[in-house]
Amino acid sequence: MKKNTAWRKPAVIITAFLLLLSTASLLCLLARREKSDYAAEIFQDGVLIKSVYLNDISQTGTFIIQGENGCVNEIEIRPGSIAIISADCPDKLCVRQGFISDSKLPITCLPNRLVIRLRPVSDSSETTAVPDAVTY
Amino acid sequence: MSVRKTAFLALFTTFSLAVFAIEHAIPPLVPIPGIKLGLANVVTLILLRHFRARDAIFVLISRILLSSFLFGQALSLLYSLAGGLLSLCVMAAVMGLLQKKALFLTGAMGGLTHNLGQLAMALAITRTIGVLAYLPFLILSGILTGLFTGLCAGFAGKVLAPFLSDIS
Repeated sequence: MKKNTAWRKPAVIITAFLLLLSTASLLCLLARREKSDYAAEIFQDGVLIKSVYLNDISQTGTFIIQGENGCVNEIEIRPGSIAIISADCPDKLCVRQGFISDSKLPITCLPNRLVIRLRPVSDSSETTAVPDAVTY
Repeated sequence: MSVRKTAFLALFTTFSLAVFAIEHAIPPLVPIPGIKLGLANVVTLILLRHFRARDAIFVLISRILLSSFLFGQALSLLYSLAGGLLSLCVMAAVMGLLQKKALFLTGAMGGLTHNLGQLAMALAITRTIGVLAYLPFLILSGILTGLFTGLCAGFAGKVLAPFLSDIS
């Protein structure tokens, strides 16, 4: 009985191609993991009210930002990270998010309309990787 | 096209739409647009394997149109079409080369080219080179999820084969 094995050669080629491509992208991802410097930008009602270069911070400091509805957020800055440590809003989502040290997710306090975003300062051309919409 | 086959393709369209809806309801695991399991691809793979490419294209386009109307944002139709049609063409070619064997390899190629098609569309729409930063993520996730959907389609196809053979 003659077995049809013609499919094996393309299968090997495709496997090799996929392995090569995934190794290349893995290496690419690992190589990109260098630490970037961030500037913390604090927005209220979409207006930039404070910008702090996080790598210049040598010791922990706190300050208070007051919203127009009497909403109060206390912000703590540490070397390389920032957090809202207390808020008088009911849900306290912003406090629960804790300290952020990269630009993946901004801290947002909706009642106070306060957004804290970390912007990489090494290259100004690249904006923070937060999409406005996600489609598939 | 027989009535039996038309009904069957409609059933497959509904099935892939349902799978798509279920997947749509799962919150994204990683904050990168475009990374998802792509379970609806299982249906495309089964159709490509047991029916003809024409039928798979028919079901795919119906599903994309319906899902864009039901869940889509303004541009999701273009993204889905770019990814879906490119991956379908590549999967049909690869499946021919592999003589319908090793379905997971076909799935992996399909997942990969689906993501590449969507990224190319994103590049064309946004005209920002910056979206290429997603390329390594999308390559990896496309291959991995494609392997998974390919395996799923392989197992499902084995079970379904006796029912499918007398329709196509």
